[in-house]
Amino acid sequence: MSRAFLSPSRCDAGTLTSPLRRALEGANSAAVRDLSLEGVVEIRGDSDLVEVAEGEDLVRLSPQRGYIFTDGDPADVAERLRAGGVLAYDATGALAGMAIESEQVVRRLTDLDLDELPTSGPFAHVTAIVRRADDGWVEVYVQQEYGHYVAEAVVDALTGLDTSRGLTRGQTPDVSDPDGSPA
Amino acid sequence: MRLEPRSGERIDRSKPVSFSFAGWKVAGFEGDTLGSAAFAAGKRVFSRSFKYHRPRGLLCCSGHCPNCLMTVDGVPNVRVCTEPIREGAVVEGQNVRWSLDFDFMSVTDKVGGPFTPVGFYYRTFIRPRRLWPFYEKFLRSAAGLGELDEHAGYSRRYDTEHRKARVLVVGGGPAGRAAALAAAASGDGVVLVDEDASLNGMQLDGVEVLAPARALGIWEGGLVPVDAGTVLYRFRAARIIVATGAIEQPLVFPGNDLIGVMLPGGVRRLVNDFSIKPGNRAIVVAADDEGFEVADDLSEAGVAVPRVIDLRETRPRELVAQGGKGRVRRLVVDGESFDCDLLVASGGRQPAYSLLAQAGARIEFDSELGVFVPTELPSGVEAVGSVTGDGLGKVDPEPAYGGKGKCFVCVCEDVTTKDMKRAIAEGFDSIELAKRYTTTTMGPCQGKLCHLPSIRLYSKETRVYEAAIGTTTARPPWAPVELGLLAGRELTPARRTSMHWSHAEAGATIQWAGPWKRPYAYGEKPEDEVRAVHESLGVIDVSTLGKLFVEGPEAVALLERLYPNRFGDMKSGRIRYGVLTSDAGRIMDDGTIARLADDLYYVTTTSTGADAVTAWFEWWNAVWGYEAEIVNVTGAIAAVNLAGPQSRDALQRLTEADVSAEAFKYLDAQEIDVAGVPTLALRIGFVGELGYELHFPSPAGEYLWGQLVAEGARPFGLEPQRILRLEKGHVIVGQDTDSESNLYSAGMSWLPKLDKDDFVGKYALEHFAEREEKERLVGFTMEEDVLPAEGAQIVVEGFPAGRVTSARRSEAVGSVIGLAWVPTDRAKNGTRVEIRVDRLLRGARVTHGAFFDSAGQRMRS
Repeated sequence: MSRAFLSPSRCDAGTLTSPLRRALEGANSAAVRDLSLEGVVEIRGDSDLVEVAEGEDLVRLSPQRGYIFTDGDPADVAERLRAGGVLAYDATGALAGMAIESEQVVRRLTDLDLDELPTSGPFAHVTAIVRRADDGWVEVYVQQEYGHYVAEAVVDALTGLDTSRGLTRGQTPDVSDPDGSPA
Repeated sequence: MRLEPRSGERIDRSKPVSFSFAGWKVAGFEGDTLGSAAFAAGKRVFSRSFKYHRPRGLLCCSGHCPNCLMTVDGVPNVRVCTEPIREGAVVEGQNVRWSLDFDFMSVTDKVGGPFTPVGFYYRTFIRPRRLWPFYEKFLRSAAGLGELDEHAGYSRRYDTEHRKARVLVVGGGPAGRAAALAAAASGDGVVLVDEDASLNGMQLDGVEVLAPARALGIWEGGLVPVDAGTVLYRFRAARIIVATGAIEQPLVFPGNDLIGVMLPGGVRRLVNDFSIKPGNRAIVVAADDEGFEVADDLSEAGVAVPRVIDLRETRPRELVAQGGKGRVRRLVVDGESFDCDLLVASGGRQPAYSLLAQAGARIEFDSELGVFVPTELPSGVEAVGSVTGDGLGKVDPEPAYGGKGKCFVCVCEDVTTKDMKRAIAEGFDSIELAKRYTTTTMGPCQGKLCHLPSIRLYSKETRVYEAAIGTTTARPPWAPVELGLLAGRELTPARRTSMHWSHAEAGATIQWAGPWKRPYAYGEKPEDEVRAVHESLGVIDVSTLGKLFVEGPEAVALLERLYPNRFGDMKSGRIRYGVLTSDAGRIMDDGTIARLADDLYYVTTTSTGADAVTAWFEWWNAVWGYEAEIVNVTGAIAAVNLAGPQSRDALQRLTEADVSAEAFKYLDAQEIDVAGVPTLALRIGFVGELGYELHFPSPAGEYLWGQLVAEGARPFGLEPQRILRLEKGHVIVGQDTDSESNLYSAGMSWLPKLDKDDFVGKYALEHFAEREEKERLVGFTMEEDVLPAEGAQIVVEGFPAGRVTSARRSEAVGSVIGLAWVPTDRAKNGTRVEIRVDRLLRGARVTHGAFFDSAGQRMRS
């Protein structure tokens, strides 16, 4: 059993679509970037046994569970880890990821401590893994089925930041989405 | 009337702004508040009082009192004295019948006094009890504040922002600013919040200034929510410095609520901030130095101040404000009358300790100052400035001055000294009880202007020292806050499959299905989609199914113990149906289990069951300690069900694998490549036709869906699927079963293997196997073409005896069919039962087995 049906990297070129494509269409790429198709591997077992290679970043959620974010082929990484005695699953398709430039936007969607990254916890009311990229952007990963919703929430928060910036009490920003729900 | 331009004024006279005030067009300047602009335009009546509908005008001009509560742009209870002016705003009176200047309900002030003493409605309107709803409706419409539009949408956008601060300073007065600067000298992360809009943009070295913004409370862990209008900041602060200052207290004397009776600070704001001449002739009565300072300001503004009465030097017995049409005209002091159109009355200042009290500080009466002060502060919270009592002089006015007329202790709730005395006489002998009975301190000012006066009065009447009386409980929020701000941005998490947009673009009607957004159908007629599946080829997105890997040397042992049926004898590449039962033997969830390798199983669950089943597996595995991992791959893997007599041919065109009936049998699982996408193909089908569930990486969802549709597969949604599965008599867990259903009553007695050593729910199932079930889940066929509602009653001898769980009209069967729970004695095949449909009893026949293709030949072909 190859488990290839878990791995987007094993699909032919041109067959993959990010779960965030629609939500981020037209969004300012200088403010939010789609990371959804970048490689992620879920590990189960003793994470101390994991040998992290160059281009990989291990985020431990517990002593027995974590994620490796990789620049390489996640299916290959999973096989390598399995050979090393750790159960590993290509989780690229499981997660939707986005990098957000504005920490203020992130703070409008989570009460996680951004000085203590990586971490996991609620983001826009769903569970997320949140980590800091080298360039300082905040990377947020959620279950891919929530990806569109979370991306909409991020875009909405960006809009809110623009409309509420500089407002004082009593001033009403222009709200283009009066029902208030990005869902 | 505006004064000549003055240094320090906040208005920008080069920027006029106009708005509507109670139907009148009013002009002001940028920098004004709605209240100051209206006052400058000659408006004096801003509200009507809560109970007596007395006209009320500006009193504090600091956002504390209720006198300027108005409805602004549809938002009720806005304090216009602090609400910044904005072009085109519509400001309306509230709690009025007709107009602010003439309110029909003010008749209660003329005649209601003797008939509406404190608590009158508790006593008068309790009998007859059945009329209370009528009384309540009348009372609530007669007395109150602004009205909420229950059907209103979002009037503005609200956001919530989570912040951290090393030091959070609440209050931007001199003490607060000094504390903030001192904190900033030792590092960053210092934030100062203040209600005063004039602090907006203030530069303090190393300090972030948030203004206008109001701290609403202090909670454990240094949590301080800050109301900044359209943003609620939820601060976590390591150190909190409270510098909220002190609040001016009114004097209690007859006529103290007349328009023109103001607190010194309010008058000074009108004069100094907005360059308004607040009157022509003013009398000042003060129990502290504030009075003298305001007298100077008034004189400088050209207001005649013929008399300043220092209550520290003279202690009049009688002090009465008199007037006409609700406006002050004179002050009578022990019989001596002084004409005036402005009466500035100050009862000293009370430290604004509420935030500290909420945080857990001890509050005690300081007999030297005559006010309550915080004495012991909780860890991480400090206080500076006049909130501690620093800089305050002793104030000791009469709790209430004598004279004729209504003498208000609480202007929010129209509570008079007479009301308070009556409450005490009736035995409400603690300040907390008196508060609840009279509602003093329970109005919009939250006790800021009536707490100290009511305790002073209580002390005098009961002859108990203030220190012994103590304070009432301070509760957050410190000031009124809009519910929309507390609610924040509405976010409703929605799960979407990776094919969601293909469905949307194909015109599907999308509906909520648990946490998922799913296609109901793709056209007006779901039966067309059903027909396509029966006759040719259909495809449905089933990515919502829960999907789990159970992997490890003891994976099979774990599954054997979780499920009542057997999996150890399955060969790799085979699939088996499984039903999970609880410890009590009740049906929890169902799905399929495919053995992919000796130590690897692929488990599917219901669409809403994935998380619960994962938790259930993990919980039991933690108890049993099997060497097996449970990995929820629901999101990682998309799935479709390709179904219909043409499904094999269609699939064969997209794969090089042999999917013939011989090579790929019913209940087989194979890894194949479909149109360039690695796929786990399961030969199963919920809809009863030849079919394949294809499971593949979710990012390939849109692509593969498109490939299948291009091969002629007609998309079908949830509604056609429900018809199709009903034709096969397939049960939907949670729809056709409930928390009491077990495998025997649900007609699945073939499933549990009671000879297994142990499994969850075994004891209960053994018991169920031996007993006679009271009711059973059976299929039924309606005798007529009527469709019972789901939940419709099964009626036996005139009594409800069961319920319909599913019912649909089936073109293939040619009848209305369904599933229902019926009494066991009515569960035999062919038994006639009656179902209530639109109040009429309609006949139906119990039907065992599948309604369509009962031998399952199509599915297994």
